[in-house]
Amino acid sequence: MQKKIVLRWIYLFIAPAVIIFMMFYFWPILTVFYTSFTTWDGFNQPSFIGLANYIKLFGKEEFLISLKNLLAWSAIAAVLHVGYGTVIAFLLYKKPFGWKFVRSVYMIPNVISVAAWAIIYRFVFNNEFGILNRLIRLINPNFEVSWFYESPYAFWAITLTWLFYAVYITLVVLTDLMAIPDEIHEAARIDGANSFQSTLRIDLPLIKNAIGTGIILSITSRIAMYETIALTSRGGPGDDTMNIPLIMVKAITDLKYGYANAASVIMIVLGILTLVIVDKTFRMKEKVY
Amino acid sequence: MIIKLTIRGGKVMKKIFSIFLILVMVTSLMVGCSKTEDTRVDNSKETQKAEVKSDSSSKDESSKEVVLNIPHYKAGQNVGGKFFLPQVERFNKKYEGMYEVVIDEIPQDSYMEKIKQLAQQNKLPALIEGAEKEWFEKVIIANDRYYDLSNFIDSNPDLKDLLVVDSMMYNAVGSSIVSMPLTVVRPIGLYYNDDMLDVEGGIGSLSIDEFTTLLEGQEQKIAFMTAENAWTTSLFFTAIVAEQENGLDMIKTGVMNPVTDYTTDLWVNSFTKLQYYLQNLASSNTLGAAYADAANSFMSESAAVIANGPWMTGDFAPEASDKWSNDFNGDKVKGDIYPGNVAIASTDGYGWWIPSGLPEDETEAALAFLEFINSPEELEAYMLAEGGIAPFLTPSQEYLDELANNRILSELSNAVNRDTIFTPMATAVMPASVSNEEFGKLLPKLIDGTYTPMEFAEKLSEKAVEAME
Repeated sequence: MQKKIVLRWIYLFIAPAVIIFMMFYFWPILTVFYTSFTTWDGFNQPSFIGLANYIKLFGKEEFLISLKNLLAWSAIAAVLHVGYGTVIAFLLYKKPFGWKFVRSVYMIPNVISVAAWAIIYRFVFNNEFGILNRLIRLINPNFEVSWFYESPYAFWAITLTWLFYAVYITLVVLTDLMAIPDEIHEAARIDGANSFQSTLRIDLPLIKNAIGTGIILSITSRIAMYETIALTSRGGPGDDTMNIPLIMVKAITDLKYGYANAASVIMIVLGILTLVIVDKTFRMKEKVY
Repeated sequence: MIIKLTIRGGKVMKKIFSIFLILVMVTSLMVGCSKTEDTRVDNSKETQKAEVKSDSSSKDESSKEVVLNIPHYKAGQNVGGKFFLPQVERFNKKYEGMYEVVIDEIPQDSYMEKIKQLAQQNKLPALIEGAEKEWFEKVIIANDRYYDLSNFIDSNPDLKDLLVVDSMMYNAVGSSIVSMPLTVVRPIGLYYNDDMLDVEGGIGSLSIDEFTTLLEGQEQKIAFMTAENAWTTSLFFTAIVAEQENGLDMIKTGVMNPVTDYTTDLWVNSFTKLQYYLQNLASSNTLGAAYADAANSFMSESAAVIANGPWMTGDFAPEASDKWSNDFNGDKVKGDIYPGNVAIASTDGYGWWIPSGLPEDETEAALAFLEFINSPEELEAYMLAEGGIAPFLTPSQEYLDELANNRILSELSNAVNRDTIFTPMATAVMPASVSNEEFGKLLPKLIDGTYTPMEFAEKLSEKAVEAME
């Protein structure tokens, strides 16, 4: 009886959050799903057309290029982006001199909005006066590349805008590292393990959930990446740097909300797939201790 | 007994307090969400007045002044803001105590998207300038979400006499007028550096091929903007298309009925010429150049020519000398029209409009603003600042004297003659997403030779067909 009363109060206290979630997340997501099967201009009544939007989407070259780009960016994110963040976490974990300062400075780029960074990168990668080309011209004076507007450089220029900003990965991994009990390291030391073995055999397995979380965060960010591309290459040159959010926005510009929502549904499905695959690969439900 | 009562009373108080806390949480979440949104709106834009109301309009309680919060891109660093903001100030001064217009700055690229969002939320501001043709017709006109301006125009005969007839016809839907017709037509031409490019008889008197020869002979370049919506490239491209056989007719009919096939000889020949210009006669920073890059190229003497509207003349005044470099001087700039005696001007388009369903006082305030900006004094001030012709306005002597002092605007005005071909922009015949996005995205591939002109045409046609499906 006491437990029922307690449960009742628990439900009552979480009710506001659940109501807000239903109103501002769940209901709009349902609307997105439903209208993805309709033709809808965003204002008048939608009319049901079945799978036509999806068939059209998968028949478009720009969508297939978007999927290809996403696959490539996801692979780079999972390996290089998360790897870089993890390495920084390990370096900070060793607590070298000034590690707190380094940690704070490392976080500064994430304080700046993505849109502002995109504008900054337009200048960094500018062919005429960008700092990157000026540095390269110290070695090769004839170097001329408009990074965001030439194939195949545009893809790599977009990649470089996010590759080294791995603060969230670092923080998640560092938190898990710091939670490892010292006794385990001590026991390993007593057993004769060196620092590298300790890192490889103890730290890495124990932080697998953090790494898995980092990969999920990174890949889902690539799926939803919009401002960086919209403010730099705009999906060009041609369709070289197209991704699904750009397709969605373009469809909205053409008053094709049903088609745009079909693209959104694909994004949601890809996000869920990422969750499931990473969860299975890293066996995130298993306890590490 | 007393202790039991106290304990029971305490538990009841605890329950009441808990329920009260839940209600406060729900209320604060709701209020918090809306407050955050308003704060984001307030913080994300520069406002021109210290007080910005969180609703789209409000009344100043003490004086019953109607305040209209209008999102607009002609603010901040936007070139249009130089004239528009002082104009708004003049309106506010004239109607002090009655009406006040407060401008919320929106980046120009995002203006229509913002308006569309507000339309979806039923929160359209009292005044909106322009609209994308397709959206306006499918959403606003189809659902009668516009305020019919016909009564306003009919009750202002002086104003009615100033309206351009073609524009009136374009804005008429049945007996209603859906947006304010034009009073001023602004032919868009180009500017060239007289020191760098020696032109006899004016650029307008040359054909495209002659102009090409002139540039090649004097080894001069054109500053093109190829990023974003490739605005200045589209302007020059229009001159190329208009010079083609049937080019002008195609553009004029295409504005009403979008074109989706660009693989005809007319288009492919135009793309071929455009490619030649972009590869051989464009400034070195052309690939991926935003407007600022193109303007900088012209004003640092890296290019001798730039295509742009009369609103750019402000950049050549001494007050704008901080934008100049490398011995560039505004005195060297001459205004002209395009080769082939082409000037870009269109009376087909939606101007200022008022949404339906506003409170009466806001509608009155909005109409007062429209009347103000179309008054003879304001039209003359507008033309002096941004160029253009008000075909039905009898200009005052002060205006004519001032115009004579503005050398570049005079040159632009004098470049237009009886035989000048007025045309809308060639990209106006394309679906919105093609002219605003795809054209600029595909240009780099035309420039670097990845696409031939025919391949470029085919790709663009593909995008246009998709957009119209």
